[in-house]
Amino acid sequence: MNRLRRFFRTPEAIAGALILALLAAMALAAPLLFPGDPQAIAGPALQPPFQDWSVPLGTDRLGRNVLAELFHGARTSLAVGLAAAAAALLIGAVVGTLAGFAGGLIDEALMRVTDAFQTVPSFLLALAFVSIVGPSLGVVVAAIALSAWTGPARVARAEVLSIRERDYVAGARVIGMHPLEIAFREVLPNALPPVLALSSVIVAAAILTEAALSFLGLGDPNRVTWGGMIAEGRTVLRTAPFLSVVPGVALVLTVLGIYLTGEGVVESTAVSRSLS
Amino acid sequence: MSELTISRRGLLAGSALLLASTALPTIGFAQTPKKGGRLVLAADSEPRNLNPAIVASNGVFFLSSKIVETLAEASFDGKDGLQPRLALSWEGAADGLSVTFQLRDGVKWHDGKPFTSADVAFSALQIWKPLQNLGRTVFKDLAAVDTPDELTAIFKFAKPTPFQLIRNALPALSSVVPKHLYEVGKIEENPANNAPVGTGPFKFAEYKAGQYYRLTRNDAYWGKDEPYLDEIVYQVLPDRTSAAAALEAEEIQLAAFSAVPLADLDRISKVPGLKVITKGYEGLTYQLVVEVNHRRKELADLKVRQAIAHAIDKDFVVKTVFLGYAATATGPVPKNDPQFYTADVPTYPFDVAKANALLDEAGYKRADDGKRFALKLLPAPYFNETKQFGDYLRQALAAIGIDAEIVNNDSAAHIKAVYTDHAFDLAVGPPVFRGDPAISTTILVQSGIPDGVPFSNQGGYKNAELDALIVKASETLDTSARTELYKEFQKKVAADLPLINVAEWSFISVARDTVGNIANNPRWAVSNWADTYLES
Repeated sequence: MNRLRRFFRTPEAIAGALILALLAAMALAAPLLFPGDPQAIAGPALQPPFQDWSVPLGTDRLGRNVLAELFHGARTSLAVGLAAAAAALLIGAVVGTLAGFAGGLIDEALMRVTDAFQTVPSFLLALAFVSIVGPSLGVVVAAIALSAWTGPARVARAEVLSIRERDYVAGARVIGMHPLEIAFREVLPNALPPVLALSSVIVAAAILTEAALSFLGLGDPNRVTWGGMIAEGRTVLRTAPFLSVVPGVALVLTVLGIYLTGEGVVESTAVSRSLS
Repeated sequence: MSELTISRRGLLAGSALLLASTALPTIGFAQTPKKGGRLVLAADSEPRNLNPAIVASNGVFFLSSKIVETLAEASFDGKDGLQPRLALSWEGAADGLSVTFQLRDGVKWHDGKPFTSADVAFSALQIWKPLQNLGRTVFKDLAAVDTPDELTAIFKFAKPTPFQLIRNALPALSSVVPKHLYEVGKIEENPANNAPVGTGPFKFAEYKAGQYYRLTRNDAYWGKDEPYLDEIVYQVLPDRTSAAAALEAEEIQLAAFSAVPLADLDRISKVPGLKVITKGYEGLTYQLVVEVNHRRKELADLKVRQAIAHAIDKDFVVKTVFLGYAATATGPVPKNDPQFYTADVPTYPFDVAKANALLDEAGYKRADDGKRFALKLLPAPYFNETKQFGDYLRQALAAIGIDAEIVNNDSAAHIKAVYTDHAFDLAVGPPVFRGDPAISTTILVQSGIPDGVPFSNQGGYKNAELDALIVKASETLDTSARTELYKEFQKKVAADLPLINVAEWSFISVARDTVGNIANNPRWAVSNWADTYLES
């Protein structure tokens, strides 16, 4: 309760939370407000926004309802962002914990693999992965996770290195717990908070990566994505700029919202840490 | 001085300068072509092999046709739709076993050596027949090329070959390359494939990868006073949106092959100093086609194919996807073809109710979720329009209960998936009609084509009757009988729907007002531009 109040003390955090709440509402309401396929043709092509209130944000090159696409695109963006971040955090936490707890050769090996992944530009890695395996939502999530797990892995390892020297870990060893059990039941939960603090950055980056992949035509073509909408609108940028601007603004607001919220969370926990 | 030039040209009209002289009287004497200047235009691709004798494709012709010439070029008003280039005349024997070409005198290669019938014989036998993508079919029965003198080439065929086909093939398939440069070493690896040497009005000067190609004037060109331009520079602008901006900023003077997106044309036509030209591509008609994999049991059923044909609103496609810059199609020969097209074929008007009824009849009832069956749909990635039509087709199929999943691939992966692996149910393809169904159209429905041949029947369609018709037409020498057979061919294809023809489109050029003699032949963008000029 206290922490929540502290979180809402900064206006940035409030703004971030509001944006995120709105976005979540959009994603959840999409199938209710716009049932059926959002890519269905709803009217004449290239209607400008605010003309016909059955399609408030106008229609695209094929006459699809931009507002419906925007709402359904929010679902894709959030789903991909959250799933990719969850996967990246999971992989990162497991690898980091194993490396930090086991030490020695295993640590060396896992960290060199992490280095290898880190030296490849993450977007390039995702791009190569999707173009080889073929674009679909699952592959896009995997590709983004593959390029984003290294950060959490390093943070988790650093935390585990300090935690494993604590007395309760030595205690667990003495009572004969299996090392893996100690690593994942005793050490990992305590190492998680700083790792989770990375999540806002990862979610935001994942949404941007997904948009960039879709923009390059490597997203799932059977789903509406904001990146895909921007790419579609690009060919008619001069005659119908709203087709790119609308999803572009949505993307900017989403990433901003996630950053601000993440910032708020970090700050409020930082305050509580320094107080305790 | 300038009047003198015109009267002299008037005297010469009828042979070499037909092109230039037909353009002059209509435009009027006030606009005498001006000499000099550099034409800068947009190029959207950088073909690896620039030899048009090997790679007969528009991407290569766009650049190479200015350097390497063909025996004849397409023409709006010439006899049989042709005008002479390296050949002055051509005559087919009544038995279909030989064609005699009289070649132009006094033509020199860019390196100064004289052009002779030996070059034609070499190109035909060593390149067109064994190596060229299109020549392989058209010249498959070419047995020898006799060269009784330096200016006569007689093509000898092992089997009777229709003269009409050879004639129709001349503009695209007959690029002549110099024998003296190609006779040593492997033809595919010859350096002249990347820096072509020809007889054309322009010489290949320079290529900077990712930046530009530069061609310079051939001062020894055979055309009187031609070419008018000093230089042509192809600015590589792969991004379609940048061509329009470059035109407006006067960085380029011409964007051909619809480098400016269709949606931008309306706006750009209002920009002072720019003109939008829809002519000059009549000989390069692209067809929007739904390719069908007949190995799928549902699609092997004619009723299902008819249902899909009824589900496609062709008018909507022309109006929305092509913004009106296209025509609806009735069958495998485009409407604008003067020789073969017939409208007397079964048609499939847009009728969703009928499509649904046909599918019910075929036994594919809607399940509880409203879907009958699912399909994989692969739209070809080469054009924005093919991709957009893929999006539209998915919606059109959804309306009749077919759940199509779009699979996007890059060009190489698309060609492999469709033409080698057959990993598709429906594909959207843009085949080209090249003036004669035997060049690149019958191959789309003929059976027995080996796996991996792109832009051919890889859908497993087999129709003995149609195959026999195709063979018969390829052996029929009489022009009108042959034309009748191809009309029959169109009827059969439209009735049995081995593939579904949706629309036919061509390209649009956008140019500055100062560029003269644009679009004066049906293959203008891929012709030699000897008479193109700049006003200021």
